[in-house]
Amino acid sequence: MKKFRVTVNGDSYEVEVEEVGGQSTQAVPTQPAASSAPKVAPIATTGPKTETKPTAAQQKKPASGDGKAVSSPLPGTVLDIKVSEGEQVSSGDVLIILEAMKMENEIKADTDGKVVSLNVTKGQSVSTGDTLLTIV
Amino acid sequence: MSIENKLEDLQQRRDKVLQGGGEKRISKQHEKGKKTARERIGALLDEGSFVEIGQFVTHRCNQLGMEDVEAPGEGVVTGYGTIGGRLVYVFAQDFTVIGGTLGEMHAAKISRVLDLAMKMGAPVIGMNDSGGARIQEGVDALNGYGEIFKRNTLASGVVPQISVIMGPCAGGAVYSPALTDFIFMVDNTSQMFITGPQVIKTVTGEEVSVEELGGSVTHNKTSGVAHFRAPSEDECIDQIKKLISFIPSNNMEETPLVNTDDNIGRCEDVLNEIIPAASNKPYDVRAIINNIVDDGDFFEVQELYANNIVVGFGRFNGRSVGIIANQALMLAGCLNIDASDKASRFIRFCDSFNIPILTLVDTPGYLPGIKQEFGGIIRHGAKLLYAYSEATVPKMTLILRKAYGGAYLAMCSRSLGADQVIAWPTAEIAVMGPEGAANIIFRKEIKDAENPPEVRQEKINEYRERFANPYVAASRGLVDTVIEPKDTRPSIIKALETLISKREDRPGKKHGNIPV
Repeated sequence: MKKFRVTVNGDSYEVEVEEVGGQSTQAVPTQPAASSAPKVAPIATTGPKTETKPTAAQQKKPASGDGKAVSSPLPGTVLDIKVSEGEQVSSGDVLIILEAMKMENEIKADTDGKVVSLNVTKGQSVSTGDTLLTIV
Repeated sequence: MSIENKLEDLQQRRDKVLQGGGEKRISKQHEKGKKTARERIGALLDEGSFVEIGQFVTHRCNQLGMEDVEAPGEGVVTGYGTIGGRLVYVFAQDFTVIGGTLGEMHAAKISRVLDLAMKMGAPVIGMNDSGGARIQEGVDALNGYGEIFKRNTLASGVVPQISVIMGPCAGGAVYSPALTDFIFMVDNTSQMFITGPQVIKTVTGEEVSVEELGGSVTHNKTSGVAHFRAPSEDECIDQIKKLISFIPSNNMEETPLVNTDDNIGRCEDVLNEIIPAASNKPYDVRAIINNIVDDGDFFEVQELYANNIVVGFGRFNGRSVGIIANQALMLAGCLNIDASDKASRFIRFCDSFNIPILTLVDTPGYLPGIKQEFGGIIRHGAKLLYAYSEATVPKMTLILRKAYGGAYLAMCSRSLGADQVIAWPTAEIAVMGPEGAANIIFRKEIKDAENPPEVRQEKINEYRERFANPYVAASRGLVDTVIEPKDTRPSIIKALETLISKREDRPGKKHGNIPV
């Protein structure tokens, strides 16, 4: 387990990096408090990715069957995305800030899991029921 | 027969009933993490207070093999006792006796309890754990359900009725709980549904597990059928006792008074800072509630369902109050179909049982959307207006922030009969939000301007300055007073103490016609 300190937009994060047989790594932010910067610093994975997953296309479409789609409860605009693809989240974590009905609504995870697909971008308009991201 | 023999005979008969379905079935019940009917009653009532009635009732079915079937207690234990020294009536279905199935006499025992509860003015607590109708008894069993439904309906608004689901409750059986005031469920061991997974699979082809279809999470979160869930029967029973402590025993009684050491003059500086300065930032309204009620003790009802509105019980100076609050954290605090349903049913419960109402307002409006309109937000939303207007209990309204348009009216405004309207300086009471209003009122000026966006913003700011505050409404007498947030608790207690003697009459009628 290696520790790194990464600074993003002036906010300092401590990340622990563990190499597990060439698998991807997990980030543990030490500042869970709401900040405008993305929660997790984009860290370079150590070593070349020797993922044995079949195809990239298959990875991109986890929504069918397993995985839980987080959909928009309100029509509005995506103001901020607090997570990135591949990130581990736990129930109650803020995923996305959605501006709707003149309110910055926090869209929270209701299950533990990994963010496998992010379907929206900052500034995008969404309608009620649109899938924002998928957690597996 | 000598007296001794008669006494012995009595003892034997009693023992037989007390054993229910016998050791084997009882241990099977325990293996599932479930208590027996008698154990449940024992845990619920004050120690030694239970008095059983109808223990020697037997079925009189003599066909389809039932003639030789013995059913001690008829599969349901009924009687009365006390909770915290107050009389309550109880029935608990006994799953160990022919699956707790409901036959003619089983139903008669339950009906008897309901009749007594109504006469005596005491709450009824029904613990459901039954395989459903006793098929062998045919229409007699069916009629039994009908007799119970009728009584549930007649007792509604006379005595509080509480249903506890502690096992299966399927088919027609679900409608007795549905007619009562509150439904409690236990995780993993209790299920409610009209048609079970097997029937659903045959008819529609959909596959679903029992727990997914009718478990505690489904009914507390998705369907809104249930009001409370607990991880175990013991915790469930604690919740029931807590609920009972907040509510009166009948519609003629005042709410129970509970001693408290919490100072009635307690001011909380933290309240001045709970609402974010920017009106588009959410906050948890429960933080406000917890700060103002006695000892921070707020007992939330339907916590998981339609959580854009928060409802529950708290006390002020020892008196119970029903609290209804918009939750800015969820759906921006908008009113929608589910929230209207949830809140109006709660308001009507409070009004039925003389529990004063406190409404905390911060809502931008009714939720826009095709789904809402198609779903009938007009008639569902109307329930809220109806419930508030109809209520004659003391009605206090605290406007925290946004109170716009129809939603402002719906949240117990002065026009719907609020007896005391208090606003925080952060309140924005207006016909609509500054953005929308400026766009309409100054449409021409904005269009003709050299720099429309700039003029638009200017007009929005102008509107906000002039109208997005509590003082316009206060100047019309629609708000009684504007207070510093930290003084909320003393202000509410003063209002409540003066309103407690409130009497308000309604025109005589059979009953109103709420848009159900």
